[in-house]
Amino acid sequence: MVELMLAPRLDMAAARPLAEALRGHRGGALTLDAGGVQFVGGLCLQLLLAGAQDWRDAGLPLTFSARSTAFDAAIALFGLSLDQLQTKEAS
Amino acid sequence: MSNDPMTEIRASFFIECEELLESLQDALADMENGAKDSETINVVFRAVHSIKGGAGAFGLDALVGFAHRFETVMDELRAGRLDASPEAIKLFFHAADLLQDHVRAARDNQAPPSESEPCLHALEALIDAPTGTEEEVSDFQPMGLGFDLDSFGAEPDATSYLIRFRPLDGLYQSGNEPGYILRALAALGETEITCDSDDLPDLLTLDPERPYLSWTIRLTGTVSEAEVREVFDFVEDLSELEISLDDLPVLDLPEPAPEPPPFMPPPPSEPEAVPAPVTTQSVPAATAEKATAPPTSEAKSPTVRVDLERIDRLVNLVGELVINQAMLAQSVNEAGLAPNSAVMTGLEAFMMLTRDIQDSVMMIRAQPVKPLFQRMARIVREAAASTGKDVRFRTDGETTEVDKTVIERLADPLTHMIRNAVDHGLETPQARLAAGKPAEGSITLSAQHRSGRVIIEIRDDGAGIDRDRVRAIATSKGLIPPEAQLSDSEIDNLLFLPGFSTATEVSNLSGRGVGMDVVRSAIIALGGRIAISSERGKGSCFSISLPLTLAVLDGMVISVANETLVIPLSSILETATLTPDDIRMLHPGTHVVHMRGDFIRLLDLGAELGYRAPKQSYVGDIVLFTSKEDGTRSALVVDAIIEQRQVVIKGLERSYGHIPGIAAATILGDGQIALILDPADLASQSSTRHKRNDLSLAG
Repeated sequence: MVELMLAPRLDMAAARPLAEALRGHRGGALTLDAGGVQFVGGLCLQLLLAGAQDWRDAGLPLTFSARSTAFDAAIALFGLSLDQLQTKEAS
Repeated sequence: MSNDPMTEIRASFFIECEELLESLQDALADMENGAKDSETINVVFRAVHSIKGGAGAFGLDALVGFAHRFETVMDELRAGRLDASPEAIKLFFHAADLLQDHVRAARDNQAPPSESEPCLHALEALIDAPTGTEEEVSDFQPMGLGFDLDSFGAEPDATSYLIRFRPLDGLYQSGNEPGYILRALAALGETEITCDSDDLPDLLTLDPERPYLSWTIRLTGTVSEAEVREVFDFVEDLSELEISLDDLPVLDLPEPAPEPPPFMPPPPSEPEAVPAPVTTQSVPAATAEKATAPPTSEAKSPTVRVDLERIDRLVNLVGELVINQAMLAQSVNEAGLAPNSAVMTGLEAFMMLTRDIQDSVMMIRAQPVKPLFQRMARIVREAAASTGKDVRFRTDGETTEVDKTVIERLADPLTHMIRNAVDHGLETPQARLAAGKPAEGSITLSAQHRSGRVIIEIRDDGAGIDRDRVRAIATSKGLIPPEAQLSDSEIDNLLFLPGFSTATEVSNLSGRGVGMDVVRSAIIALGGRIAISSERGKGSCFSISLPLTLAVLDGMVISVANETLVIPLSSILETATLTPDDIRMLHPGTHVVHMRGDFIRLLDLGAELGYRAPKQSYVGDIVLFTSKEDGTRSALVVDAIIEQRQVVIKGLERSYGHIPGIAAATILGDGQIALILDPADLASQSSTRHKRNDLSLAG
């Protein structure tokens, strides 16, 4: 199981590296560690959404191993739910 | 680092907070003085509301929480369901003080003040009370009648809006984030946020720096469309925005719960967020325009915020310009050109221009003393509460403008003096009643411009200085010999002596004597002076005289024993040439000038400054009459008056410390350095020295 640790500040500067990291991990199960995330911006949020869709389409699991309060609060603030950012196939 | 747009926006939010807090204090003071109109109450409400809204955008949860609960009570006041009794207003002041603490704690990234809860409980108890008499109230109050300035008479209390917001290219690049906007909206009322990801491409084709998401927000709250639009101010050109009225019946909406605070987003309970099928009623463009037309009721003149460092640099440069101009004038004079030559005329115009530039630059640095006075109002409230005294605090001349640095450096000494006035100046309510005075003491803080200086006075109507006691203490501490003959004013001034402490009176709030010498040093360091006047049983008055600016002054250039000196023009009353009839000798070494019925002490400047021995005769000499704050005059003997001119002050304190009788130095047109005298200090020093000599002769 590959685990990807998310940057503490998921702002515009983090968007490109996150896109590359997600693209680099395609084709296998992926776990995201959002335990240290303090800030989530709109660009990284859409990458996480696109990532979840990509894994969902491939029938592979993408889940979170840890989430900070700030991460959860940001997701809720943006009007999203956690299920939209991970695949349901995960077990 | 400081280029981070969010840091800048955050900084400007805190500056705005200070302005809002100032208007909050003003409106509360108006309420205290009997103003109960909706305009005043609205100012209070809006100040708290705006701070809450802004704080929400930055996720300052503690501040939002406090402001929200404060605002809830203010809303009741606004709706006429709460009466602004004197006790309630006291509580509002306390809450406003705490709100200020919260703002500053948030600004400085410090822990929020811990003592908020008792105040909030007391505030909330105010609005709990009427619910006990619900029958009476419900009779005439089917719903809250909120008066919002932005939507005055136009909209019901709670309005529901449907907002569609789509970030465009460039929004993120300009440092904006939809998250901040969503937070700011959440702070305005209840929100239901839906994210639309229909346009999101797949992971491989997606450009990580382009926006693809959009949001639909249903916002319900006592908020005008203008306020909603204000949230999008920074992203107006960087997003597609559509705001319409939602036709959901407002009365069906649940009351906003006080906890959790309203900026908390709804819990992510729904598994798949599908845009809610809400029917909307679009507002025709014209109506929307109308609603946004009057954004604020008060027309403010446009302002620009400038970093203080930049202003200081400008002040310094103008100072150099003045020196250069003086040097140029000197060279031109030495060249012996005709007075009406083109060069001389040009130079005159140049000098006037320099003068205007200088005045304008100084005006930028000048600020009204009002914020400082408001801080003092708080000190009075706190000191009154801790001593159990009733104090009425009055201010006068709040719009008086003084150099910003002077204001900043005045805060500490003034705080100490205000505390002293409450703690020691005013008697207990019982003692006041026994003395036939009203139980409520009064402290007045005033500011005014007087002959080129600013005079700040702290006046109380307390018991006045007990001079016998002060004298006894000074004697017991060996500060004065027991047989010393001191005038009332000299006894009062003993309070400023280092080491003088009326220890038996010292409380945890202040210790008069301990602090007063520190206060005096601080005032002197500002180029100011402090004087006391007091009448037993009637009160005391501390008077501080300060220069308007610390950068330039109008001076009279004089010469004494071949030294060139500058005396501030503001301290000179008049000049005269002495005739034999004018001079009287009190005893050897002490002369007075007889001037229109008054006897004024003669000070031989050359001898006072140690340039030469005292003269035998002063007949035919030139004297400058100067005056101290307490009205005492002195006649300074000088050799010659050279000219009157504006000089740039170069401080000496940093290099040499305080030099008695000398305020600062300056550079003259010929490059020569001249000392700037402080005539009042010189007179005080001389008087003390003479007294000491007299005492040592006597003892």
